[in-house]
Amino acid sequence: MHILFATMLQTIQENPAYSDTRTIWQHMSDALHQSLYRVLSLLIAVLPGILAFFVALALFAVIGVVLSAALRRALTFLKFDERISRNRVNVEWAPTSSPTALVARVSFWGCLLLGLIIGVSAFDASYATGPLSVSMLPYLTHAVGAILLLIAGNLIARFLARSVLIGAVNAQLQYARFLSLGVKWLVLVLTAAMVLDHLQVGGHIVELAFGILFGGIVLTLALAVGLGSRDLVSRSLGTHVDRVADRGMPPQSDSMTGAPESIRHETIRHF
Amino acid sequence: MATANTVSETQTPSAPSRASLLVFIAPMATDQMESILRSLTALFPADELLIATPNDPVGNAFSNLRQVPTSVSNAVWPIAATDFVNVYRIAKENDARGILMLGPGADSLRATAIRELANAVLESQCDLANPYYTLPPHTALVNSAILYPLTRSLFASRIRFPLSLDMGLSLRMAERLANAGQRFVSHNQSDAILWPVSEACAAGYTIEEVNVGPRMLPQPAEPNVNAILTLVTGSVFSDIEAKAAYWQRPRRLAPEEQRAPETRAEDGAVDVIPMVEGFRLAFTNLQEIWSLVLAPNSMLGLKRLSVVEPAAFRMPEGLWARIVFDFLIAYRLRTMNRGHLLGALIPLYLGWVAGHMNVTAAGTSAEAHIEAQTAAFEADKPYIVSRWRWPDRFNP
Repeated sequence: MHILFATMLQTIQENPAYSDTRTIWQHMSDALHQSLYRVLSLLIAVLPGILAFFVALALFAVIGVVLSAALRRALTFLKFDERISRNRVNVEWAPTSSPTALVARVSFWGCLLLGLIIGVSAFDASYATGPLSVSMLPYLTHAVGAILLLIAGNLIARFLARSVLIGAVNAQLQYARFLSLGVKWLVLVLTAAMVLDHLQVGGHIVELAFGILFGGIVLTLALAVGLGSRDLVSRSLGTHVDRVADRGMPPQSDSMTGAPESIRHETIRHF
Repeated sequence: MATANTVSETQTPSAPSRASLLVFIAPMATDQMESILRSLTALFPADELLIATPNDPVGNAFSNLRQVPTSVSNAVWPIAATDFVNVYRIAKENDARGILMLGPGADSLRATAIRELANAVLESQCDLANPYYTLPPHTALVNSAILYPLTRSLFASRIRFPLSLDMGLSLRMAERLANAGQRFVSHNQSDAILWPVSEACAAGYTIEEVNVGPRMLPQPAEPNVNAILTLVTGSVFSDIEAKAAYWQRPRRLAPEEQRAPETRAEDGAVDVIPMVEGFRLAFTNLQEIWSLVLAPNSMLGLKRLSVVEPAAFRMPEGLWARIVFDFLIAYRLRTMNRGHLLGALIPLYLGWVAGHMNVTAAGTSAEAHIEAQTAAFEADKPYIVSRWRWPDRFNP
């Protein structure tokens, strides 16, 4: 109680310890000015880094073009393609990707990648010494890694989907497209989860969501394939049992007849 | 065509250092091997024979025959690149004048057929003696649909079985094949298939087709027909790609020779419904992939086919030729993964087989249909040549 009274008496003093005569607008204006100053300072600090990034990229792109053209000319002059195809057994070079073209492309993209690394490094150095001394490089490398993961995941998803589709069609499965789509989405979901995890976005939510989605897709596929091919399996088993009964031989000997697995046409021979 | 046995039939007891004929016998059962050796000893003097085989040595009955063991290859196709390499090495070491290669099931060949194959290289001085088998109509359909038409239209060779199981080789032909095989072996592809007919054509060597009559064709080691079809088609496409400089030039086809009469099918009732259904299923699901490879006209043709009743199903010859050529171009350009590409060809091939069955069931002879098919390939050769040279000019 004594403390409370003492405080009340202090507040009604004629000369307070702190007096501010400025209005709230002035405070806001100050805050805005300081914020603008900070952002502009940051931009001024970062701008050389951005410029350095673009200059490095452009410079190495030009070097890459020149180097690639020079290599292309030199290898064409040396008949590099002919030498390679003479020494190799299978000419596995498509016309659009001859060895010369490949070397030229690799040199160009190598230069570009070098320029990118140098540019990012310069940008990072200028950023780290600025007013907000936080290095961006780890985030950038994570982002690049995530993009690479995304590209690889997409490619693998497409490849596997196509493989499953063609294999299933050749095995004459009616649900070939469904199976292919299922595999494709499985891989895509896995890729998305890996990308988010790599970017450290979402934390446990991503893991949980991925588990639910992945499990859901697998369960759906299993149910669909299981229910869809129930007749096929029972028919196949029935035929197998009938055949064994007719021939009076043990079941394992059937697999030794050498008949084609997926395409069984008894009266014709493909080879 | 060689008919007379001009090899001396007098047998000398001493074993000379050189052999006239090197006989390579592919892996097979002992009784089959014995049967072949019996035929060989009846046909040729034992001292002029040298047997190279990965099979175990047979009993004392053939102790007068010199046998050289060769390595066993686990290749899907019975005679692989490594066999050609080994055979040439042995032939060179023993100064052989000719080589006879006999594949699995060669015991079903007539003795005279073996003799004629050998004489073609020993006496007629031809470089490659390729057999003409008399087979039932619904046999070796991959050969009839793809291998024979491609070989004839591109390499201007009438050899009916470009991928035969038996053959006769001159020493220089064996050397060429060994060189081709060595390149595969050095790249760890010793199981690769070699194409003697196209090799002989590219080298300008003489080829003779020997009518050997009926032969039992063994089942391939690989039971999955999809896998072996992909392997063989991929191999022939690769070979065509490697010899593009040769076949792009126009060449005159050799005059037709008299062939053995065709055997008729005893039971013409082949169920084409599964094949047609397979084709329809593929048309529903693989359109996206086919449209990357085939021209719009071909896709339209396939669309029309997909609604035809199984009994009336027939793949037009021109359409099939265009499909194979477009797949060949896509294989070369790597339009998509090659495994996927060849897998996507299988349902189309089954469609051709269904059509072929219907045509033969309607009374047309199988050979007549195959010849018509081959003529369509020949007529479409300008298309493949122009697309090969300028693939970007027309992009389906």
